[in-house]
Amino acid sequence: MEPSPDKSHGHDSGHDAHPPVDLAKSVRTYLKVGGTLILFTGITWAVALVDFGSHAANYAIGLSIATFKVSLVGLIFMHLNHERPLIYKVLLFTVIFAAAMMFLTVLSYLDPIKARFGF
Amino acid sequence: MEIPYTVSARPDTGLYNAKVGIWLFLASEVMLFGGLFSSYVFLRIGADFSWPFHELNVLPGFINTMVLIASSVTVVAAWAALKARRYGWFQINMIITIACSLAFMGIKSYEYYGKFMHYSVILKDGTILDGHPAHASEEHAGDKITLTEVREITLAPAWSTLNFLNNRRVAEGSRPFASVPEGQHVKVRLPSTGAETELTKEWFKEIKKQYWELRNARSELATLTARLEAPRIRAEELRKTGEGENKVEVDYRRVESLLKDYAEGKKENNNKIAELAQKVKSLETAHPDVVGDTLTLQVVGNPLVFLVGEKNLQTYSPTQIVFRDTTILNGKMTGDAIPFNIDAIDLRKVKKPEESMAWKYFPQLKGNYEKHREEKTAEYIKKHPDHAGNYVEVGDWQHEVLRIPLHEMLSEEDAHAYLHDEAHTVQINRADRQFYSNFSPSRSPYYAIYFLMTGLHGLHVIGGAIVLTYFLVTGRRMYRTNPEHLANRVEVGGLFWHFVDLVWIFLFPVFYLM
Repeated sequence: MEPSPDKSHGHDSGHDAHPPVDLAKSVRTYLKVGGTLILFTGITWAVALVDFGSHAANYAIGLSIATFKVSLVGLIFMHLNHERPLIYKVLLFTVIFAAAMMFLTVLSYLDPIKARFGF
Repeated sequence: MEIPYTVSARPDTGLYNAKVGIWLFLASEVMLFGGLFSSYVFLRIGADFSWPFHELNVLPGFINTMVLIASSVTVVAAWAALKARRYGWFQINMIITIACSLAFMGIKSYEYYGKFMHYSVILKDGTILDGHPAHASEEHAGDKITLTEVREITLAPAWSTLNFLNNRRVAEGSRPFASVPEGQHVKVRLPSTGAETELTKEWFKEIKKQYWELRNARSELATLTARLEAPRIRAEELRKTGEGENKVEVDYRRVESLLKDYAEGKKENNNKIAELAQKVKSLETAHPDVVGDTLTLQVVGNPLVFLVGEKNLQTYSPTQIVFRDTTILNGKMTGDAIPFNIDAIDLRKVKKPEESMAWKYFPQLKGNYEKHREEKTAEYIKKHPDHAGNYVEVGDWQHEVLRIPLHEMLSEEDAHAYLHDEAHTVQINRADRQFYSNFSPSRSPYYAIYFLMTGLHGLHVIGGAIVLTYFLVTGRRMYRTNPEHLANRVEVGGLFWHFVDLVWIFLFPVFYLM
């Protein structure tokens, strides 16, 4: 006999962040998100062929689309749209440290050796 | 022991344990890839060469993006199917996910293979010729040098190994580059006695032993002598401080005591010194071949032939090659040209493109280049009238005009012939080349970080696929006993899988499009 669908892990039980699953509805959502992601991958390619005036502008647009796609994956596929606070706390630290690491690259512009020897 | 909270949530976190675990792991993964993306940015803004953009073929990358997105959909659908207790659906979605991972790795391998088979020669003036070494005989295997007429071999007993013998070739019928049959040794004459010996590992082991024995005896003697001389030298130094303009008062009692130490030490160790000197002398007489730091051997019989990859070399000249282990072969270099077919010419680093060394090898293409340059420049200025005066300095113009895939200035058919026909193979003189490599990590920092990041991402795909396959293969039993546990496992595996997709979403535009 097939085990019965999971009803015990909804919000009310306080045990899990996921409501009971309606398979067809979930899959429809996932397919829509997947389609959107593929569409935006195509858009990323298309805009890469367009000259927006400077490389910086092209990077900004390309990376913004990538960030949008990543948000969709995170929010829908990884269920970050309804997750427990602990996960958000972990991610907050991650974001802070990752941003700090990126900032180290920026610091290289202030390198005293570079300033002195001009390269 | 039962592992707690695999299904139910832990009261304090509100989550089952594996989920907290995977998110902590993903947080560390974000830092790992974040560090690499940061390095990428650093390399790119600091690059002292034209950063290759639009050099990778976009289509395979685009297909791979779609493949990963599709697998992300199916892996989350597989989890949803388990939550809804539809095991059949779970299986189907999981199989598609794993198939996608295989497709991804297949496409990636195809791309890597293309890169490893694609070569680039940077000439002395900065001209870059892309293409591949012609499919020629073994002596022209691209980065190999042929050294014939080798009659003299110089070994350094301290450093050399006999590994250079692996590069030796012998004639076999009309082919002068067959491998050496097993058991065939090189016979050499020793400089000291003129005795003949075979170059074997055992013989060289003995030579090394003798060398180190002598060297150790010498160093023992030298150390002892230095130790005995030390008080005398110190006394001498002290005495000197009492002379000249800046003289100070000298402690003569100390000087005397030092000299006394010196005399006593010498007296005490006289015998030992004589003994050691005698040992050194007798070792030198017994093993005259290892007296110096190098040992030059004359080849007995026919001169030898070597075919050596550049990676094994320290330096070379037309008459000599030096291996990395300091072994030296004297002979005559013959096959040092690189037979090459091209598919692109890059003149961005050349001071005067019209005088590039490319035209020495491809004089017939110069006219096409000039026409291409004229047309593309007119087009560029039309698009960017503000750069009409200084377009030569603009990176985009350089990229469009000075980096020329052959199909841009020739017909598809002719460009194909240049890359594949023997008639268009040129022999690039090794003396003309500055750097020669395939498009592997050694090609440039761009390819180094490209392979590093996509390779690491590929390992994540493989790791994820192994875990998901395990869930698929062994899942049924757990599904019967504890379906919620299986669903949680798949959710955790899926979270990792989404992360892999997420990394690729950034990798694709960064490496392929920008």
